[in-house]
Amino acid sequence: MLIHFETEASPGVRQYLPYDDRTQTLRQIKDYPRSFTRVPAQPLIDRPLTLSELTGPTEIERRLPTGNADFSCLVPGGPRALGQFMTVAGRITDEDGAPLAGALIEIWQANASGKYIHEYDSHQAPLDPNFIGQGRFLTDAEGGYQFRTIKPGGYPVGSNDWWWRPPHIHFSIFGMSWMDRFITQIFFPGEPLNEADLLLNGIPDPEARQRVMFEPLPTKVTKTLNILEFRRDFVLRGKSKTPELL
Amino acid sequence: MSRAPVQTRTETRPAIVSPYGTIGPFFPFAFVDDANDLTEFEGRKAMGQHIWLAGTVVEEGNVPTGNTLLELWQPDTNGIFRHPLDPRHADADPGFFGFGRARTDRQGFYRFRTVLPGQSREPDGTIRTAHANLTILAIGLTRRLVTTIFFSDQPETADDPVLRCVPQSARPRLFARKDNALAASGLPGYRFDVVLRGAGETPFFVD
Repeated sequence: MLIHFETEASPGVRQYLPYDDRTQTLRQIKDYPRSFTRVPAQPLIDRPLTLSELTGPTEIERRLPTGNADFSCLVPGGPRALGQFMTVAGRITDEDGAPLAGALIEIWQANASGKYIHEYDSHQAPLDPNFIGQGRFLTDAEGGYQFRTIKPGGYPVGSNDWWWRPPHIHFSIFGMSWMDRFITQIFFPGEPLNEADLLLNGIPDPEARQRVMFEPLPTKVTKTLNILEFRRDFVLRGKSKTPELL
Repeated sequence: MSRAPVQTRTETRPAIVSPYGTIGPFFPFAFVDDANDLTEFEGRKAMGQHIWLAGTVVEEGNVPTGNTLLELWQPDTNGIFRHPLDPRHADADPGFFGFGRARTDRQGFYRFRTVLPGQSREPDGTIRTAHANLTILAIGLTRRLVTTIFFSDQPETADDPVLRCVPQSARPRLFARKDNALAASGLPGYRFDVVLRGAGETPFFVD
């Protein structure tokens, strides 16, 4: 892919190569019907990357305001949502391993019963008055993030009983530019529903599949709490320098 | 342990890049609503011509695609991006942030209120025809779709480095057209319909 102007002349210009399909989810997945009516039939068109694609919203929290990163209760110290209390921590870097500081993360997930707060969720499961299950926050100077929540439940897709989604948490991340805008969902290791999930198994490469799994840390036991702890790092597309020519 | 030799071409090095996933059906409305108006930022009004940029998203068989998330990124009325890479960014309109979000309703309809962008200028002086970038995320899409919206005030023959890559017959599909039916509150409307798949498919770019 062409970079439209010289990187030497414009320090700070990042290099973005197309996603390597081998590390990604299949575009069309058998039995995932919408992928056959929505994925374009025509080949994607290659084009140079200009300022327009290499820039992107900066300080996006000025447009999409952040809040706190504790989803386990409505107000600090208030009653906790039902379910298993857990924490997630991780780090966001680019392909060079450089931390992405100030990246905006959006989280959304089902409650412990597998119910989302969403007009389109028709699952016959109860909402939890102490759980919102969505929020935004920023990564710190080292690209690190952490949040507290409740482990989500699994749920059936629509009114189908043949496909139950395993527990998972959605991540939406604004990286450095329009090119590394990123969305994914992260799964829990050892869940029996993982074996049959179309989306998780739509990542053919087993190593790549591990990159959408939470890594369990030893469960923390305090006098009052039993806390599941997980880690999930992300590598967003983009390199800060041009590779050496051999 | 014997393994097939790994290809080491730089462009396709088996990267560590995290796998994309679908946005699914339950992206919170609260993350989208109130983000579709780009004409105001932190109490300031954007300069330039305010417009409605609206249309429908359909899939195979011309079926409306509801519940999609659309994200817009564009320069201001003078073609300046609010970003340090743009050599002119110090002159960017303080009333224009350049990013917005909209979602399609059950009929597939979406609407942004934004500013008609100006021509942007690359650091090497190359001019880009006035345009806005659009990302589409939806159930069924395991990766985002990206395309570029041009405006019918510009000729379809414009010599733009991105437009040039699109087969000539498909170029008109990248142009938002003035549409009086979309005009409201004294602002002109531009229609940009998206066909995800099927006859008249919108050109999308490698991502």
